[in-house]
Amino acid sequence: MNHSHQDPAVSRRNFFELTFGWCAAAFAVSATAAGALRFLVPNVLFEPSQQFKAGKPDDYLDGSVTFIEDQRVFIVRKGNTYRCISAVCTHLGCTVNRTEQGYHCPCHGSVFNNEGTRTAGPAPKALSWFLVSLSKDNRLVVDKNQRVTEEKYLVV
Amino acid sequence: MNHFLPKKILKWAMQTRIGRSIFRVGLPESNLERSQAMVSSFLLHVQPAKVNRHSLKASYTLGLGLISLYLLLILVGTGTLLMFYYVPSTDRAYNVMKDLQFVISAGLVLRNMHRWAAHLMVLFVMLHMCRVFYTGAYKSPREFNWVIGVMLFLVTLGLSFTGYLLPWDQLAFWAITVGANIAAYAPIIGPKLQFLLLGGHTVGQEALTRFYALHVIVLPAVAFLGVSIHLFRVRKDGGLSRPEEVRSSVDRIALNELPTNKSYGLMELARGTTPQVGKNPDDEVFSWPHLIFREIILFLLVAVVLLFLSIFWNAPLEEFANAIHPPNPAKAPWYFLGLQELVSYSAFWGGVVVPGLLVGLLMLLPYIDRNRHGIGRWFARERIVANTLFTFCLIVAIVLTIIGSLFRGPNWSWQNPWKQQAVQTESH
Repeated sequence: MNHSHQDPAVSRRNFFELTFGWCAAAFAVSATAAGALRFLVPNVLFEPSQQFKAGKPDDYLDGSVTFIEDQRVFIVRKGNTYRCISAVCTHLGCTVNRTEQGYHCPCHGSVFNNEGTRTAGPAPKALSWFLVSLSKDNRLVVDKNQRVTEEKYLVV
Repeated sequence: MNHFLPKKILKWAMQTRIGRSIFRVGLPESNLERSQAMVSSFLLHVQPAKVNRHSLKASYTLGLGLISLYLLLILVGTGTLLMFYYVPSTDRAYNVMKDLQFVISAGLVLRNMHRWAAHLMVLFVMLHMCRVFYTGAYKSPREFNWVIGVMLFLVTLGLSFTGYLLPWDQLAFWAITVGANIAAYAPIIGPKLQFLLLGGHTVGQEALTRFYALHVIVLPAVAFLGVSIHLFRVRKDGGLSRPEEVRSSVDRIALNELPTNKSYGLMELARGTTPQVGKNPDDEVFSWPHLIFREIILFLLVAVVLLFLSIFWNAPLEEFANAIHPPNPAKAPWYFLGLQELVSYSAFWGGVVVPGLLVGLLMLLPYIDRNRHGIGRWFARERIVANTLFTFCLIVAIVLTIIGSLFRGPNWSWQNPWKQQAVQTESH
């Protein structure tokens, strides 16, 4: 194509139509959509805090595995060590039950051993372990935002 | 003419000054008035003035699309009434279910109707899709209307799924927990999508509020828009699909052979061959009364069957939702049980890959299948490959659904559906 100086490939009118017309329209639509989408993402959650106090260390018997209902976790005490394992099945979010050998999910039959490792069923990964620490007033503190390995435990 | 009394009253009412201002035509007497009655009415004009005999055959359509539409209308009616009592609050929703059952007049029947109509609508939309497939009706020029139909199927599932949470019983809570966790398996956006859908990390008040908004306004609005376009496209794409013989018989008539003692008026412009353009009038009949009458009879049939179901079978209501104790087994609604069976092997493959592929293939179907033959006939020989593939997928889906619903017991282990097993309750 051979365009003379008077007949550019993009005329001034085309250029303004593209920048101020189509680009502005596209920006307005996407900004409105982005704003609406952001509106739908909640800033405050009315859920139990991910970090919570789980009572005194002595509340748990030696060798016990205790279920904490509101938080859907188990506190595991062995000797003077404390750990916290998630009770939420990694498959589809059902609450697992404590069994002799470990944990069992009633929804689709996933089985986990005492270390949370999957031994049977459709669950894709092991149950999560959460960080346990001790507060100044001698209470166990579990932080569900912090995942740890099953070897990490709190010694009291 | 001798008329029954109701018709006499109707005729008198329509010819009064007020009646004439509302009904331009009145009860039609002549063929001209039959056409005018259809074209001049807001509710009727979505349908053609004359309709091909082939489209009226119950053996061709089985009335499946109309039944789906009627169920949607009944759902809007019963749902609107239920909204007058329902409160989307985790504290009160379950009590409203109990009130509907024991306190509110006709509350139980209305909730039953809403629940059974919802299940039936999913079923009939599926059957309607099977009919359209087996008759090759999705082929040109109706490709895009099939795509709209697949979208409407997804909206139907969405409506049913969002409604599932509203009673806030164990069934609701765990079906949505499982469903939302399946969504979280989607690559990259999965967890964000789940968070957005639930308005948090777990199913709670935020999730109930969101599902309520989706269920009572967002999805019904999308469904109505979709259905309107779907019906509009049926007209614009030349009416219901018909076999070649029926379509081509009229094209053979030369223009100079058309009777000259008639005057023709332009009723509408439509793409392709339409029932109106140059057609031999012999294979068409007037919509009033032939189509209208069949539609009214079918609606009455749907309403009667639904009422019968709702009087004799109650919608399920389990215990108050409890996040600690999942029921064993925790089952999704029946139409998702095939997927849940797959999910019990692998959540990623069963919950994301297979349904994703299925929806994608369904959407692209009219563009993948380039075979132009076998339109408008059930199980046409020319479509044996497509029909066999579809039937295979259908049988797999049905078998998986039956396994998921009947053969899976506590812990999702095999059970014999003919042997009644004691309901196992998990305890900590």
